[in-house]
Amino acid sequence: MSITYLEAIREAQAKLLRDDGRVFIYGQDVGGTFGGAFKATKGLAKEFPGRVLNTPISEDAIVGTAIGAAMQGMRPIVEMQFADFSSIALNQILNQAGTHYWRTNVPIPITVRLPSGGTKGSGPFHSQSMESIYAHYPGLIVMTPATVEDAYTMLIEAVAIDDPVIYCEHKYLYYHLKADKLPEKGLLTGRARIAREGRDLTIVSYSAMMQESLAAAEELAREGFEIEVVDLRTVKPLDTDTVLASVARTGRLLSVGESFPWGGATAEVIARVTSQGFHLLDAAPQRLNAKDTPIPYHPNLWSAHRPNAKNIATKARALLRE
Amino acid sequence: MLQTAQRTAKSKTKKAPSASSHKTAADKAAPPHDRFLEAFRWMLLTRTLEEKLVSLYRGGLITGGVYIGKGQEAVSVASGLLLEKGDIFAPLIRDQAGRSAFGEPLLDVTRTYLGSRLGPMRGRDGNIHRGHPRNNELAMISHLGAMISVTVGTLMAKRSKGEKNFVGLACIGEGGMQTGSFHEGMNLAAIEQVPLVVVATNNHYAYSTPNDREFACHNLVDRAIGYGFEGYSLDGTDLAACLDVIGSAVKRARAGRPPQLVVASVLRLSGHGEHDDASYVPEEVKRQPFARDCLKVAEQTIVDFNLVDAETLDKWRKDAIAQVEEAIAAAQQEPAPEGDKEDWCALSNRGLADQPESPE
Amino acid sequence: MPQVPIIMPQLGESIAEATIVDIKVKPGDEVVDDQEIIDVETNKAVMGVTTPCKGKIDKIAVQLKETYPVGAVLGYVEASEADAARFAKQAPPPPQREIAEEIPTRADQDVAPARERRIAARDGEGARVGDLPVPAITKGATFMSPRVRARMAELQLTAADLAGIMGTGAGNRVTIKDLENFLHKIETQTAHEASAIRAGVADAMRRSWTRPLSTIGSSVSLDPVLQDRQSRDPKPGPGLYALRALAVALSKNPGAAAKLIGNRVVQSKSIDVGIAVEAEDGIMVPVIRGADKTSLADLATKYKELVELARQRRISPDMQAGGIATVSNFGTFGMQWGTPIPLPDQTLLLGLGVGKKVPSWNEEKKEFVPRTEAQITLSFDHRSIDGGGAGRLLKRVIELLENPNEL
Repeated sequence: MSITYLEAIREAQAKLLRDDGRVFIYGQDVGGTFGGAFKATKGLAKEFPGRVLNTPISEDAIVGTAIGAAMQGMRPIVEMQFADFSSIALNQILNQAGTHYWRTNVPIPITVRLPSGGTKGSGPFHSQSMESIYAHYPGLIVMTPATVEDAYTMLIEAVAIDDPVIYCEHKYLYYHLKADKLPEKGLLTGRARIAREGRDLTIVSYSAMMQESLAAAEELAREGFEIEVVDLRTVKPLDTDTVLASVARTGRLLSVGESFPWGGATAEVIARVTSQGFHLLDAAPQRLNAKDTPIPYHPNLWSAHRPNAKNIATKARALLRE
Repeated sequence: MLQTAQRTAKSKTKKAPSASSHKTAADKAAPPHDRFLEAFRWMLLTRTLEEKLVSLYRGGLITGGVYIGKGQEAVSVASGLLLEKGDIFAPLIRDQAGRSAFGEPLLDVTRTYLGSRLGPMRGRDGNIHRGHPRNNELAMISHLGAMISVTVGTLMAKRSKGEKNFVGLACIGEGGMQTGSFHEGMNLAAIEQVPLVVVATNNHYAYSTPNDREFACHNLVDRAIGYGFEGYSLDGTDLAACLDVIGSAVKRARAGRPPQLVVASVLRLSGHGEHDDASYVPEEVKRQPFARDCLKVAEQTIVDFNLVDAETLDKWRKDAIAQVEEAIAAAQQEPAPEGDKEDWCALSNRGLADQPESPE
Repeated sequence: MPQVPIIMPQLGESIAEATIVDIKVKPGDEVVDDQEIIDVETNKAVMGVTTPCKGKIDKIAVQLKETYPVGAVLGYVEASEADAARFAKQAPPPPQREIAEEIPTRADQDVAPARERRIAARDGEGARVGDLPVPAITKGATFMSPRVRARMAELQLTAADLAGIMGTGAGNRVTIKDLENFLHKIETQTAHEASAIRAGVADAMRRSWTRPLSTIGSSVSLDPVLQDRQSRDPKPGPGLYALRALAVALSKNPGAAAKLIGNRVVQSKSIDVGIAVEAEDGIMVPVIRGADKTSLADLATKYKELVELARQRRISPDMQAGGIATVSNFGTFGMQWGTPIPLPDQTLLLGLGVGKKVPSWNEEKKEFVPRTEAQITLSFDHRSIDGGGAGRLLKRVIELLENPNEL
């Protein structure tokens, strides 16, 4: 039997609803027989009546309500229909949820699911990767699972954590990634994973860019280079130790992300490695992100806009020659 | 179960009797409301406290802004006083009277304003951004309208936990009513059929902006129908009317009616903050009926109806002063927070805190 | 029959061209697969270019001693259809556009000699590190990454220790892998710990060598000195005479020993000259302060004291600091001449070789006469003084040595 990334998310939510009466799911089109724009909640409204609720198109109020409910002891999961629309709820996420514990000593255990990243033809407002924006503000945990197994265990972890979690699930991976079965346990939250061992160069990445980075590593392996690929799993907290240990082995760093280039997760990785691991670097660290424009609609433009296995390999090759 | 409540009745707006609810000296009756005097004392304490805060501010002893609710004490005290244990209160900027009546200690106020690290926010937030979420008093954020949906969420949670006979009351001004998040919160409150009372005070100025640049509808209370709320108008200068109307709204919400919107009209008698002199308010506005000082009106009512004698009134004034001075003196002796003693962690889960710098 | 091109191969990272030094075949010769037919020379080595396949040499398109870029067609082999097809699949990529465009093509030749042209890669315009061009000064082992530097610091290595490494990184720089491979190779060789003195000397010489040093020399007749010392007690050795001569010469010309620091010429107030004294485990170089004011007799006494101190290992670093020149009498080892390295804080080193009886032309007598001659060299920091200035100083020293009564 095989299970997709999307099914893993659905399974995780089913398990959460089953095991914890405090959990409920709140978002647009999640309820009824429809089960969500991507079917992430299909069948759950029926199995758990009154706990999977449709909302109006009011992202600010959806998150605000979830925050209030969390304050009173519940564990809401908010499904944003697309990450891109969470900008409407930015104020509640950053200024209400993100500050509440620090200001009042009362944590807010909400989980906000953001269907993130581009697919062919999705265009500027249905493709964004917003992990860098949420990671920038204090008080939030930002998860970016790249595998079916992590999609499952990390969502369960997210709801168990008392602090607000922004869970960035990648839409491209929904149906493209499959696994044989779901695990019982996952790696600790905040720990990065060595997805591929190597010795000549380290690629640090996360989410759907992991697939591209691994493909690039395969291509370079045919040329005699062994590339180590690190999956951050959570962008915040960022596992600096694992990244530094990898760069200690290889001496070269390429950080790859799908988000826009200015600032963000890849810049953060490089900032940390240069300031804490300068003596480990045999060449200047590099990063690869999408271009600094809105995400284009046309498939040709879309694939030129973002990193892919080919341009990751090209960049890595240049770095290997330094 | 987090079921949405069945709509038991269609929402309707009802205009409360307007300024004429003010009883005249000819109607010799009992105190206009059974909690009139109790409410008055809270108003007196609040006015005394806030005047003292203003003078501390002018003396350079307070860092940051000072925002007072002068003129709005009647609306506010009614909002806080009539709630019961288990109810949720979401006060906003000019709700000192409500906060005190709801149970916030004076020391919380003075500690926060005077920078004691023992205050409820421990120096991490200041002035009116105070609260005790575990005591059902929400701590506001500056983005107006954002607290409405949060209040909705608390009420949904209480219902799902099986609690009964509770309400939530959120305060806002006519300025805050114009935000998108207010609109979303109101709509969602009615969809979720939560026992929410929104007390909106139109104090006629949002900072320096008068009503005609804030909303175009004839009467803000007309929006209640649009949201699926029941709506009432209120003369905010009249303490008895405030207790009546707000009390009634709270009762109706508690009884399971649709959410309630009360729109009070009373002039803001201070600047937007104490850094503002409100010189943009024209003299003719200050002569309007809604510009009357609710505290003076209430005092006049006490005198007219001889509800207590002058000596008692005087004693109440002195008591208020004493309480305020005690709270200020205590807070002034307390230590300030220190930057290098803070743990600088914004997560309750220390183990998941991100470490951008190497631990030194 | 199809023609298969013979292509100039990529002979190493960042090699852009090579010079033809030998052509082993001519048109019409039968050749086999992988047969070496042309020898080419790069700045690193001579290598052979081999045939792409078997067949018959159809054409040689290059000339001896001319230089051609990587990827250039050197000639053609006439080959079978099958071989030509096979080769076409493996054809190397065409030469880089930039280089090809630099070379003017001539109608009657496939390629033109490129020797007059400055090829981009060799002059640092092609190589890049991190998308910035590698300027000429950072080519080679002088650019060290933080990691390489950290490893060097850990092992207490200097750039001089890395001279033996051919870097494989951009611009021939030494990568961490190059360094680790090098260290690994050393592990297979016998080694023992260097003594403190050895390490000290190595460091001093390395520091001194960062300057452009030069040496000039001439011969000096030692007979006058040998005669003069007969009448003295104690008898100073020729080295001391040289020291005194240098000191006296410098006292009249102190600018010759001035140091250039930045763009300032720094002159010492005192003519302090050091002399090499052999100790048990190395050479010490104590400094005689005010050597121009110290008579030969006093010099002899002082020298005896210093030899004794050296034997007792009691010559302190203070005693060896602050000099402006040093004298080294390596003639005592039987050496004739040398290019000794001035101490890192000095700009001059006078070296005296062994005296030998040699025939010397006497113009008056018009015959060869015997004379005791030694080679005397002056090594100097060419930033502070030129050959002319050094020459004049040495000439004066020789004059004084050949007229010891002036000492």
